[in-house]
Amino acid sequence: MAELSIRDLTVRVDGTDILKGVTLDLEKGKTLALMGPNGSGKSTLAYAIAGHPAYEVTGGEILFKGEDITEWTPDERNRAGVFLAMQYPVEVPGVSLTNFLRTAVNARLEEDKPVREFMGELRTAMSDLDVDESFLQRSVNEGFSGGEKKRFEILQMALLRPEVAVLDETDSGLDVDALRIVSEGIDRLRGPDLGVLVITHYTRILRYLTPDEVHVMLGGRIVASGGPELADELEEHGYEHYAVSA
Amino acid sequence: MTTSTAPTTDTPTSLDAITEDVVLDRSTAAGEPSWMTDRRLAAFKTWLDQDWPNRRADEYWRNTPFDRLVDVTLPLVEPVDAECVELAEGVVDTLESPAATVTVVDGAVLSIRVDEDWADRGLVVESLRDAAAGPCAGVVSEHLGSLTTTGTGSGRDEDRTISTNDALWDAGVFVHVPAELEVTAPIGIQTYATRPGVHLPRVLAVAEHHARVTLVLEHLGGDLPDAPRASRNKTPVLVDEVVEVIARDSSFVDVISVNEHGDDVAFLSLQKAGAHRDATVRHYSATLGGATVRLRPEVDLLGPGASAFPSGIYFADEGQHFDVQPYMRHIAPRATSDVLYKGALQGKSRAVFRGNVYVAREAVGTTTNENNRNLILTKGARADSTPFLEIECADITAGHGSATGQIDARHLFYLQARGLRREQALRLIVLGFFNEVLEQITLPSIGERTLAAIEREIDLADLDQVNVSAGRVDTPRD
Ligand SMILES: Nc1ncnc2c1ncn2[C@@H]1O[C@H](COP(=O)(O)OP(=O)(O)O)[C@@H](O)[C@H]1O
Ligand SMILES: [Mg+2]
Repeated sequence: MAELSIRDLTVRVDGTDILKGVTLDLEKGKTLALMGPNGSGKSTLAYAIAGHPAYEVTGGEILFKGEDITEWTPDERNRAGVFLAMQYPVEVPGVSLTNFLRTAVNARLEEDKPVREFMGELRTAMSDLDVDESFLQRSVNEGFSGGEKKRFEILQMALLRPEVAVLDETDSGLDVDALRIVSEGIDRLRGPDLGVLVITHYTRILRYLTPDEVHVMLGGRIVASGGPELADELEEHGYEHYAVSA
Repeated sequence: MTTSTAPTTDTPTSLDAITEDVVLDRSTAAGEPSWMTDRRLAAFKTWLDQDWPNRRADEYWRNTPFDRLVDVTLPLVEPVDAECVELAEGVVDTLESPAATVTVVDGAVLSIRVDEDWADRGLVVESLRDAAAGPCAGVVSEHLGSLTTTGTGSGRDEDRTISTNDALWDAGVFVHVPAELEVTAPIGIQTYATRPGVHLPRVLAVAEHHARVTLVLEHLGGDLPDAPRASRNKTPVLVDEVVEVIARDSSFVDVISVNEHGDDVAFLSLQKAGAHRDATVRHYSATLGGATVRLRPEVDLLGPGASAFPSGIYFADEGQHFDVQPYMRHIAPRATSDVLYKGALQGKSRAVFRGNVYVAREAVGTTTNENNRNLILTKGARADSTPFLEIECADITAGHGSATGQIDARHLFYLQARGLRREQALRLIVLGFFNEVLEQITLPSIGERTLAAIEREIDLADLDQVNVSAGRVDTPRD
């Protein structure tokens, strides 16, 4: 059974049905790309996987290691190994970034990692992602540029070592250099124990993270699935072609 | 009443029924100089003409029903034998090598310790009465009451709670920092209320030109066993305090006020500074204890280029009523004030913030900013926040903001999505909310004390009941 298995999932937001039956399997060691135009429901799927309380699962199930996690709180999901890198990471005023990371890492490990060891790992992750030392003095996402926020998401992924990572438009807002650094950072984390779902509009991040499968979402449904070549097709021809079937 | 030698009487008079004789007796019994007695009597004349605050008649009391919260029939507290009282440890006890510490208990100055080095360099910390009879008499006489009702300074305060203190203050503390002396160690003044009644502490601090001083004013006490109450809302202890701070040219005065009274205390405090040319006055207050608190951190910006930075936190829980009213008066040109207060509330509690900024016609080039934020944690708490600007001068830069809200669902989700349990996330968010104020605290022990107090408040909270804003929209809509 796939590490993450989404079965016929329907999700309602603010009284509107957004996802209308999504089925998707993510195996360990695999990278999936989910593409689709704005408003097709990609972020909705990402939030539903992460357990955002505003995204109400009205049908179907989300199985993680065979267990239905739809009733789990967001923190339970994360501690179990499901990670969401958000499209729009949230600024949490006044909350010390270092303090937050340490609390998060300890929560995921379910034990207190010695400060020295934690700081060592943090510094390594920071230099891997070309993040400045001054980050340590800042508050969570507060005053970060779009690019800095995206880097910080991947930094957290590196520290939290998830088994399933959903990356919601991590590439958007990154310039060429930043895209390379962030993508390489993600690539380093890939391996036989991690499944990655890359949500994106464009193929540029996929040049670093070659997907095993590409899925196309439109109107809250997966309307096409294929290999990496599908991504190039989409970039060339756009999504109009699928509009009819949506 | 006849002239007695001690201020004790068998049936203590209630505050409301004080007569001129009582004022006179107390002053003469304490051996005060005649000018001081006269000043008390003058204040008492004012007092006689005044009424107790009334929410309908006085806009500054609009949200705090004095008649329901403050018991004016309480007697003036009588000093007790100091040996008999056990005093809780306060933050002043944890200050690292303070320049001086003062302990006030139930209307009497119990002890004063001044570090010898600082004393040799000219720092004076003594009881106000001793000061008035010693070499500093001139300074005391010049400034005592100059910012309130009796003096000739910038202030005339129309509030009866102030003339009460002017006429009847009991434990007085005087601090004098001579010109150019930078007292880098803090001065701690602890005021304890261990007995029911009206406590009327007074502080006068004068920093001469280019002097520097940090005052830590700590209020403790209350939680008295079995003290009778006039009504459920009225407390058996009333602490009505006046602190006057004179910041002469280019001086730098840091005032830190920490209130951790028990919940049977009503605490009214005017903490007012006069800032002269290029002087800087910082004021930080942590309002945590007491049933009723009305705190007035005020600065009169009297000299060109003066600056005032009042900031504070408050955390109200079940049954507490906090009313915080900073007042900045820009009298002179090119002065700066920046006001920042943050408060959290839980249970059936109430916070009132009324921030006042007055800019006189002459105060050209004023820069002023005023902000208040309230975080309502649970149902039943209420905050009223109003920043007021009264501006007679066009050539100024002024900003103000006020907001009252709940825990932001987006913050909570973000932290939970990274594995933090709900209560861990809430704790970080609440501490983060206060951080903007806390990071400005210059004394580490004060910061730690405030943090610990906030943590205790969070521990009290029923985190399952915490309101979270319906911040459902996570993504900017395209
Ligand atoms: N929090 C929300 N409130 C209201 N509508 C939402 C919200 N999130 C998503 N939607 C709606 O759901 C649809 C899918 O949005 P989203 O999942 O963000 O799409 P994508 O990520 O593919 O751009 C859109 O029509 C959007 O307007
Ligand atoms: Mg999206």
